[in-house]
Amino acid sequence: MKIDEKVVCYFESCKSPVDKEGYLSKKGEIKTSYQKRWFMLKANLLFYKDRPGDKDLIGVIVLEGCTVQLCESEEQFAFSLVWSEPGLRTYKFAAEDQASQESWIKALLSASHSYLALLVMDMEKQYKDALRAHPSESRRPFTMPTFPSTHASTLPAFAAQSVGRPASQGSSQQLQAPNSSVARAVSKKSPKLWPKRNSNMVAVGAPALPMLEFSGLCFAPEEQFIKLHEDFGREIKKLIADWSRRRGGGEDLPVESLIDFG
Amino acid sequence: MRFNEKELVCLSRQPSEMAAELGMRGPKKGDVVKRRLVKLVVNFLFYFRTDEEEPVGALLLEQCRVEREDTQTFSIAFLDDAERKYLFECDSEEQCKEWIDSIIKASYEFMRRNLIFYRTEIHRLTGKDPLEQYGISDETRFQVNSGSQLMARDTSSL
Repeated sequence: MKIDEKVVCYFESCKSPVDKEGYLSKKGEIKTSYQKRWFMLKANLLFYKDRPGDKDLIGVIVLEGCTVQLCESEEQFAFSLVWSEPGLRTYKFAAEDQASQESWIKALLSASHSYLALLVMDMEKQYKDALRAHPSESRRPFTMPTFPSTHASTLPAFAAQSVGRPASQGSSQQLQAPNSSVARAVSKKSPKLWPKRNSNMVAVGAPALPMLEFSGLCFAPEEQFIKLHEDFGREIKKLIADWSRRRGGGEDLPVESLIDFG
Repeated sequence: MRFNEKELVCLSRQPSEMAAELGMRGPKKGDVVKRRLVKLVVNFLFYFRTDEEEPVGALLLEQCRVEREDTQTFSIAFLDDAERKYLFECDSEEQCKEWIDSIIKASYEFMRRNLIFYRTEIHRLTGKDPLEQYGISDETRFQVNSGSQLMARDTSSL
């Protein structure tokens, strides 16, 4: 299968938001030694090259269908991207320190398109609920971000911070496992059609709002999403406890996955 | 340029509502229209020869412009180069509209803007940040740039 490389390379170099970038060591596929590369995370794509200034991309990893895991390695601060289906690979990385490791894991966990889609659906529902709960607020003059009318915009209406350093480095160790929640949601039921809604439904008392359709995607119901997040909340608390213990005790990193598939 | 081909091929097998046989023409001069099974999965457009398991190719649907060319045809233009276009021939006007709509909404950047919009509005209405419950409020990818503006827009065009 070929991929339109020019399009991918352009996306890497254009001004769209960079979600995280920095050096990581990556374990080679053929040569099994770790090699230091410059990585750039944009949307659901992880690009890599030798140095930040290089024009030529060495490669890209599409982050769909994988989980992010801590892993055992001869290298410190290691983690991996794992595709669990037979024949699919695992990418192993090593960060420079624990803070970088945590930061990368966290960034990669929330990188997939599927995760973002579920999140947006959930937020849309919360938004509608909020409008119903605060009708007086919604009557304020309505400002909206630019939504494309007939074509996908090449203009970034919002530019997220381009340097991927979390605002509260180290203080917030909360991690979620959205990839696995999506994997579980999708595997629990056969994907079903998301019910179509009118694109211009008007909430009572509010100006016309864009109701988004995700006709190209199939998901489990949103209730399942919230439940899955609760489930993972418990796992995350366990992980935080483990990591705190590790920091204090100086123990070796255990082999553990952030996601316990049971 | 290397890419995780096997994993991407696996992704192309995911079920999708937007999958149909369309006439497809590549961007190069001399490319002709060929019947392809075109399938939209996340922000990728895969295209297959009919009855083949593995896609012929994959298109990343970011930084592209989707436009109606005529009643049943739409195009996807990349790299701000209006000449470098992929053309798709549909069987009906309705199908054409549906594809255009779906492709636009499939872009990660489009979805991210929506997320930021909802986040901002929910916070404005309720005083709460809806991303806090998921522990992702400080993730770079969900931030509203302090310099960004929610622009006033005539909503009658919606």
